[in-house]
Amino acid sequence: MLQVTNVSKTFNTPGGPVHALKDVTLTVQTGEFVSIIGKSGSGKSTLLSILGALDTPSEGTITVDETSIEKLSGHAQTKYRGKKIGFVFQQYNLIPNLTAIENVMLALEFGGYPGSSREDRAAKLLESVGLDAEQQKRRPTRLSGGQQQRVSIARALANDPAYILADEPTGNLDSATGKKVFDLLHDLSRNQNTTVIVVTHDLEIAGKTDRTFTLVDGKITTK
Amino acid sequence: MNVLTRGVKNALRSPLRSGAIVLMFAISIALILSMLVARSSVQAKINEVKATAGTNITIRPAGVMGGMGGGDPLTAAQLTTIKSTANVSSTTLTLTDQLGTDDTELESSQELGAFGQRQMRFESSGTTSATQGTGTTTTEDTDRPAPTPRITVTGTNDVNSVSTNGSNLNITSGKTIDASSNGLVALVGSTLATKNSLEVGDTFTAYGSTVTVSGIYTTDNAFQDSGIIMPLTTLQTLTEQTDVVNTVIATVNSSDNVAAAVSSLETGLGDDADITSESETAAASVESLESISSLALAGVIGAAIAGAAIVLLAMVMVVRERRREIGVMKAVGGTDGKVVGQFTIEGLTLTVIGTVIGIGLGVVVSGPMTTSLVSSQNSTSSIATAATETNGRPGGFGEGFPGSVEQINTNITQVSASLTPQVFATALGLTFLIAIIGSAVPAWLTARVRPAEVLRTE
Repeated sequence: MLQVTNVSKTFNTPGGPVHALKDVTLTVQTGEFVSIIGKSGSGKSTLLSILGALDTPSEGTITVDETSIEKLSGHAQTKYRGKKIGFVFQQYNLIPNLTAIENVMLALEFGGYPGSSREDRAAKLLESVGLDAEQQKRRPTRLSGGQQQRVSIARALANDPAYILADEPTGNLDSATGKKVFDLLHDLSRNQNTTVIVVTHDLEIAGKTDRTFTLVDGKITTK
Repeated sequence: MNVLTRGVKNALRSPLRSGAIVLMFAISIALILSMLVARSSVQAKINEVKATAGTNITIRPAGVMGGMGGGDPLTAAQLTTIKSTANVSSTTLTLTDQLGTDDTELESSQELGAFGQRQMRFESSGTTSATQGTGTTTTEDTDRPAPTPRITVTGTNDVNSVSTNGSNLNITSGKTIDASSNGLVALVGSTLATKNSLEVGDTFTAYGSTVTVSGIYTTDNAFQDSGIIMPLTTLQTLTEQTDVVNTVIATVNSSDNVAAAVSSLETGLGDDADITSESETAAASVESLESISSLALAGVIGAAIAGAAIVLLAMVMVVRERRREIGVMKAVGGTDGKVVGQFTIEGLTLTVIGTVIGIGLGVVVSGPMTTSLVSSQNSTSSIATAATETNGRPGGFGEGFPGSVEQINTNITQVSASLTPQVFATALGLTFLIAIIGSAVPAWLTARVRPAEVLRTE
C-alpha cells in the first residue's frame, strides 16, 4: 500500500517560491490501477517524482509498504527505486548509446540480477511487450516512438517492481499505439498484481483506470 | 554488458571527439615522459659526476696564478699542518721552476708566438709602459732582443701521481725516476728531447749540475712534453729552495670527508694558501645540469597539470552533456558509485589509449629532447671550463687537476636519455591518477544531484 499524507512541495525560484503541491493526501492499494489527471503545471509530474523517490517533499510523508521513503538516505532511495519502482516516462528516457536489450539489461544490473541471466530475461521482457530479436538489437534512434515506449515499459518491469509509475506514457504516441501501451499497463495491474499509477491529461485513458485523482494548482480535488 | 564494457563502449561513441581528447592527452603524456626521462638522466649524470669527482684537495700559496708567479711557496711548517689535518691520508708535493739560458744549455721546444714574445719582453725589460694597455708597439719594443722561452722543470715526490694530474704520462724509452731520491736524474719530455737530441743516458746541465736523462715521456699535452721532471728533493737542492713546494695535492680518506678536510685546511692555513677540491669543482660544473633537472621537474608538473586539465575539462563536458542520462541511470536504480564507476572507466579508456600513443611518442622524442636540453647549456659549461682553466692553471705538472675539470665538463655534455622502469612506472602512475581524478570528480558532482532535478530541467 502506498500512502501519501499532507505532502507539500515548494520550489525556490528566482521569481520567488512556487508551491507545486499543497497538502496532498491520498492512498493507493496494492494492485490498483489509478490515474492522476490535471492541467499542465498542476503538479502531476512533481507528485509522481515524489512517489518514486526521485524527489523529496518539502512537508508530509510517503509511506510505501510501511517504509517512510522521504526519510531514507540518497543511497537507500536509489536502492528503493531499483527494487520497488518501475518508471515509464513520456520522453522514454532510454540511454541512446545502448541497444534496446542493453537498456533493459542496465536496469537488471542495477537491480542486482546475475550477469549470466540478464540477457535472457531482458530478451523475454522485450518479447513480452512485442519487440522481436532484431528490434531488440537496435538503438533507440532506430525504433519508433511506440517501440521505444515498449522498451521503456520492459525496462520498468525488469526487476519485478511492486509499483509502476508512468508519466504521460502515451503522450507522444498516436492513439492506436497509445492504446496498446495503455492495455499493456492495464494487463500488468490485472495479471501481476502490480500497482500502476499513471499521470495523464487524457480523460479517456483516465476513465479506464480504477480510480482517478484530479490535481488543480497542486491540490487534490477529486478522489 | 557490465559497467566495464559499457564504459569502454561509451568512451568511443563519438570518434572525432574521443580522437581529439586522446591526441591532446597523448601529447601531454609524451611531454611528461620526456621530462621525466630528461630529469632522471640528468640526475643520474649529476650523481655520476659527483661520485667520480675524487677526493683530492689542491693547496697552493695564496695569490699564485699558475705560471704567472706571485705569492710565497708553502713552507715546511705549512706542510706539517697539511699532513696532520684530519682525514688527509696522503700528500703529493711538487715544486716547479723554469730553466733560463743561464741555467741550462738546453733549448726550449716551445714556440712563444707573438703573445708569448711580447709578455717575455716586458718581463725582461721591466717596462710597465702604457703601451701594454693599448697594445701599441713602440720603437723601444722592437729594439729589444727576441726573448728565449724557458723550460719548465717539475720536482715531485711521486711521479706516478703526476701522471694522473691532467695528462697521461707515458714513458716511451728508458725508465722512470725514484721521486723520493735526491739523485741528479730526470725524465725529459719527448719534444724537448727531440729538439736537443737527447736520449736515455745522455746528460745536460741544470743550475750548474750535470743531470742524467733516465727516461723520455710523452703526454697528450704539447706544453708538458716540452718539460722536465725531477725528484722533488733534487730540484729543491738545485734551486736552493729547501723544504718548500708550490703545490700540494692532499688526498682525503673518503669523499664524505672532503668538505670537512677543506674546512680544517682553511682554518689551519688561513689566508696563506688557496684551497680547491675536485668535489667543489664538480659541484660548480654540474650547476647547469641541476638547473636542467629543475626545469624538467617544472615540465613534468606543467605537463601533468595540462593533462589533468584536458581530462577534467573533457569529462566535465561529457558529463554535462549527459546529465539526463545520469538522471535516468539513477531513476532506474543506479547508485552514485555505479554512475561514477562508469564515467571513470570512460575516462580511463581514453586515458589508456592516450597513454599508449603518448608513451610511444615520448620514447621517440625523449632522447632528442634530453640532448637538446643538455646541449643548450653547453655554452654555459664551456664558459665555466674556460674560467676554471684561465684561473691560474695554464698547464704544467703539479698544477692541480685541470684534466679532471676537463673530464668533468666533457662528461656533463654526455648525458644519454634512458627510460628506466622506475621512470616508466612514475609516468604511468601520474597518468592514471590524472585520469581517475579527472573522470571521477565531474561524474561524482553530477551523480549527487537528485534525478528529478535533472529530468525536469533537461
